Formats: sequence, structure tokens, C-alpha cells
Amino acid sequence: MDYFLQQLINGITLGGLYALIALGYTMVYGVIQLINFAHGEFFAAGGYVGVILLSYFTGRGYLDTHPVLCLTAAFALTMAYCAFLAIGVEKVAYKPLRRESRLSVLLSALGMSIFLTNALMLTQGVYDKAYPSELFQGGFQFGSVTISYLRVMILSMTVVLLIALNILVFRTKIGIAMRATAQDKIMSSLVSISSNRIISLTFGIGAGLAAAAGIMVGLYYGSVRYDMGFLPGIKAFAAAVLGGIGNITGAMLGGLIIGMVEIFGAGYISGQYKDVFAFIILIAVLYFKPTGIMGENIDDTRV
Amino acid sequence: MKKTLWKAVVLGCVLVPFILGGATAKTLKIGSMSPLTGPYASDGTDIRNGVLTAIEVFEKEGGIPGYDKIELFAQDTACDPKQAVASANKLINLEVVGVIGAYCSSSTIPASETLAEEDIPMLTPASTNEMVTDRGLPYMFRLCGRDDDQAPAAAKFMKESLNAKTIFIIDDKTTYSQGLADGVKKASEAIGIEVLGHDHVNQGDKDFSAVLTKAKSINADILYMSLQGYSPGALMALQAKRMGVPSQIVTQDAMFQPKFMEVAKEAAEGIYLTYGFTDTTTPEYKAFEEIYVPKYGAIAAYATYAYDAATVLLKAIKATGSTDPAKLKAEIMKMDFDGVAKRIKFKENGDSGSTYIAFIIKDGKFVPYWHPEKGLLQK
Repeated sequence: MDYFLQQLINGITLGGLYALIALGYTMVYGVIQLINFAHGEFFAAGGYVGVILLSYFTGRGYLDTHPVLCLTAAFALTMAYCAFLAIGVEKVAYKPLRRESRLSVLLSALGMSIFLTNALMLTQGVYDKAYPSELFQGGFQFGSVTISYLRVMILSMTVVLLIALNILVFRTKIGIAMRATAQDKIMSSLVSISSNRIISLTFGIGAGLAAAAGIMVGLYYGSVRYDMGFLPGIKAFAAAVLGGIGNITGAMLGGLIIGMVEIFGAGYISGQYKDVFAFIILIAVLYFKPTGIMGENIDDTRV
Repeated sequence: MKKTLWKAVVLGCVLVPFILGGATAKTLKIGSMSPLTGPYASDGTDIRNGVLTAIEVFEKEGGIPGYDKIELFAQDTACDPKQAVASANKLINLEVVGVIGAYCSSSTIPASETLAEEDIPMLTPASTNEMVTDRGLPYMFRLCGRDDDQAPAAAKFMKESLNAKTIFIIDDKTTYSQGLADGVKKASEAIGIEVLGHDHVNQGDKDFSAVLTKAKSINADILYMSLQGYSPGALMALQAKRMGVPSQIVTQDAMFQPKFMEVAKEAAEGIYLTYGFTDTTTPEYKAFEEIYVPKYGAIAAYATYAYDAATVLLKAIKATGSTDPAKLKAEIMKMDFDGVAKRIKFKENGDSGSTYIAFIIKDGKFVPYWHPEKGLLQK
């Protein structure tokens, strides 16, 4: 039982991180029907900006005196930086191709992904960068189940971000505008919603969430490396498709499912098949429900 | 007419350097193969830097008679067998006289078969899988040790020094890591250590929580970590510590990289690993350190072996005054000198052997701990 609980917590943590990244895929798809393959790189960039900021704070000794303030600043600055990065990428690589075929935009996205990975490698080096490890040492102990404070922080942060996103999309004017653009670009522009601004905003929000996931991965696993965006990017994309691409709730659900399946597959069968299980679930779901768990985005939940 | 003349002038200008270049400068071309991008880029970069250091030393000593300079063509294999073969073909087209590399055994094996078709000598500084030299290729040499030396040494160490009774093994399914994990499994069983489990993770994984939870519930005396590269190793060590896995971690040569401690920090303390014995007090090592460290930073697992590999090749070319592979081989087989990593003397199959000793990580440093013949080196 303890074993099961521990694996469940492992699964939720990993799933939450996938969910955060998957949201970016799904939101961008909802608005411009593009699979943004460069999305994983925003996640990696977030991890790097995070480590640069936190190392700076540690070097100055701020991290010991004001840990909460430093973390908040690191998260805020990193998310803002990656949001602007994503908006820039959209302007440079996707906007000029908006009237071209979908395939050219897709290729542009792949190219951007390779470009960003290599830019990260050339500027930051090929070696792992370690996160400061002084934060959140120790944890709760229930029987043989261990929940580190770090994990509690990551889980609560994930939940807060997901709730904030839901409020933004479903309760605010900006959210209404986003959903309107997703449903019909021409119609929404007739009621004076600027689709360019909404698209920029969507890229920014998606990348901001991925950046937050990047810092959390860095904090949790202890280091970042320039190629860290690739695998989580693929998994999160699978999660978005599993949940029904274009659907926000679906992306969250899909992320959790992929994370859980991976952990339980590795925990109960064998670690070498964990990716296989994740993708078997994906294929099985798509076989019976080609639009993903939450279905195609015909209602107003689509962004 | 004017146009044609113009074209001829341009063409002439383009061709001049080639004609002049062919007439005057004679370059000795050697190749290196190692992962310069991808997850193992750091070890691969060390290998290239080791080779560059050897070239620098030779050029300082007056170069090689008959050549104006030595040029290195460093290829990126990305630890991918397909790319390794492509790199080998590229080096063949560049007409290199010898190749240092590769890093991953799974790259070295197919690449060496391609190079063997052209009889180009290949000296690997890092591939420890048995198959590298066991296939009987005439121009394959190995500077590092073999997995079937390392695995029994590791098992012996765990039994004698750590009094291990049970072991749980994790590998990441590369030719190297799985080969070594299987070797440790066999060697452990042979001397009476019970293998409680053998699980695998995937290359590129960052999250090991599932497999470590399993390791924690099995609670063997030893958690044997067989991973390709220091980076996943450091992540696993860190996560194992955070999750409170009680087993003693023992690992292998791929973790012999100062970056391991940089990432794993205090979680690295007290971890044991087996690695070929290098005497760091020899004048050869000191001389290498003096050139390498200011330029490239701390010396990691394979820089010294790559340096020795390049030295062997360049020495042979210098001594024979030829690049004929048969003559080079005859010269290499005669060699018997103190390299930076170890004493270099090749056996008939191209191996040069290595004594594996156990190190402990203490205060962020690798400290020699146990020697298979001498026993404990320190308390």
C-alpha cells in the first residue's frame, strides 16, 4: 500500500509537470491550429533562466535571507522572459507564414526548435547546470512514504497555475476574446478583437507556463541541460493529443494520465517499457476516440 | 568576351589557393569521433580536447618530420550508431591517417567496421564493451579497460570491502551500460551476492522516481547504477538521496567526471565507483595537467585516455615516418611507455588492459579507496 501511495505521488508530480507543458501546445493549437514544436524549448529556456537567476541570488546571499521573495522573483522574471521569447518566435517564424499552407508553418516550427536548442547549447555549454540545492530540504514522512517539501511546493505551484489559467480563460474578458478568436477569427475580428494580439498573448501564456515547469524541473531534479526540452516536449504533446488537442481541461487530464501511466508502468512492470506504456495508452485512446478524451473542440471550452 | 575573361580571372583566383596549398603545405590529418552534441556531449568534448592537447604537445616539440602541421577533424557521433558510421565515412573521404574514438561502444563497433574497410587505425579512449576488440579487427586499439575486467572487480569490491549480500541493478540499455550491468550481475552471482532485481531506465530520462521507489522497497545492500554518462547518474544519485533510498550506491567509470559532484552535490558523498587506476603523481600526468587544465578546465574521465590514444598514433607516425597502417601497427605493438593515464603496452588483440580500483567520493573529490590486490588503500 505504501508502495502504491509513493508511486501515486510520483505520478502526480510528473503528470502535473507534463500538464503545464501540454497546455502551451493545446492553447496554440486552439488558436492557430499549429503544433508548436518549439514549445519544449521554451521549457528548457525557462529552466536556464531560472538557474541563472537563482545562482545570482545565491551568490549575493539573498536566497538565504529572503527565500520566498527570491523564488517569486525567479518565477515571475523567468515566465515573463519566456513569454516574450515565445511572442518573438511567433512574430519571426510563424506570423509571416500565417497565410501559407499548414505544412510550411510546421516546418518553420521544427526549424525553430532546432535553432533554439542549439542556441542554448552554444550560449550555455554542453554541461549540466546545477540548481542551488539549499531550498526546501527535508520532507514529510508517513510510514515509508516520503513527500519532500520541494514536491509539496511543486504540486501546489502547479495547482495554483492551473487554477489561475482556468480563471483567466473562463472568467475574464481576455479569456472570452481568446475563446472567440479560437472559434472564428474573422467573426471575432468583426467585433474588434485583434487576432494578432490574442495570438501573441496565447503564445506568451503557454510559454510562461512551460517556463514555470522548467524551473520546477530544475529545482526538483537538481539540474538542467540544453537538450532537456525534447523529451518532455514530446510527452506533453502526446498528453495534449490524448486529452483532445485544443482543449485546456483535456491537456491537464492528458498530462496527468501520461505521468501516471509512466510511473506505474515503471513501478509495477519494468522501467524500460515506461515510454511504451504511455504511447500505448495514447494509441488506444485515439483508436476508439480519434479526437482525444475531451473530444473535438466544438464548444466554448476551446482556446 | 569581356565576360569570359572576367570569369577566367575569378576562376583563377579561386583555384590559386588550392594549387599553392597542394604544392607547399603538407598537413597530417587525423580524425576524432565522439559525441559533441546530445546527452554525452561533455565526455565527448573532453575526448576531443585530449586529442587537441596531444597535437599541441607534438607541435611544440617540432611537429612530425615531413608535415607542416597536424590537423584534427573532430566528428560528432552523438552516441548514435548511424551518425558514427556517417562520421567514419566522412573521415575516410578526408583521408585521415588514424582515428581516435568513439565514446559509446555502440558507436565504436559499427564505425570501426567501416574504417576497417580502408585499413584506417582506430584507437578508442573510452569504449569498454568486450566486442570492441573481440571481433579481431587488425587495426583496432583500446586505451581504456574492458567491462569484463571492470565487472568482476566491482563485484569483488562489493563483497570484500562492503560485505554486500544483496544487490539491485539499474542500467539504461546502452551497449555499454547494459553490458556492464549484465557483467556485474553474473560476477555478483558467482561470488555469492544475491541479485534482488535488475531494472532498466531509458536514455534521456530525468525522472527516476518510479524505479527508485522500487529500489527503496526492495532495500538491497547495494544499488548498482550502470548509466551511460555522468548526467543521468548525478540525477539518479540526487533523487535517491531525496527519496531516502537506504542502499549504498556503487557505480562505474562513466561517473568519473568532476561535473558529477557539481550536480549531485552532497548526494554524491560516499558513493563508490570503479575506474581504471591512474597514478596522478607521475611527471607525465603533471605535465598533461599543466597544459590541459588552464585551457579546458578540470580533467574528467576520458581526456587522459584520449591524449594517450593520440600520442600513440602520432608517436608511431613519427617513429616510422610513414602512414602505412601495417607499419604503424608494428610500431604500436612494440610500444611500452608511461602514458598519462597508465603504462601503455598493447596485447595481441589491441587491448592494453587496465587495473580497476574503487574510488569513494569524499568532500567533492574522487579518492582512491580499494585496490583488488592491495585491499583497502585508506581508512
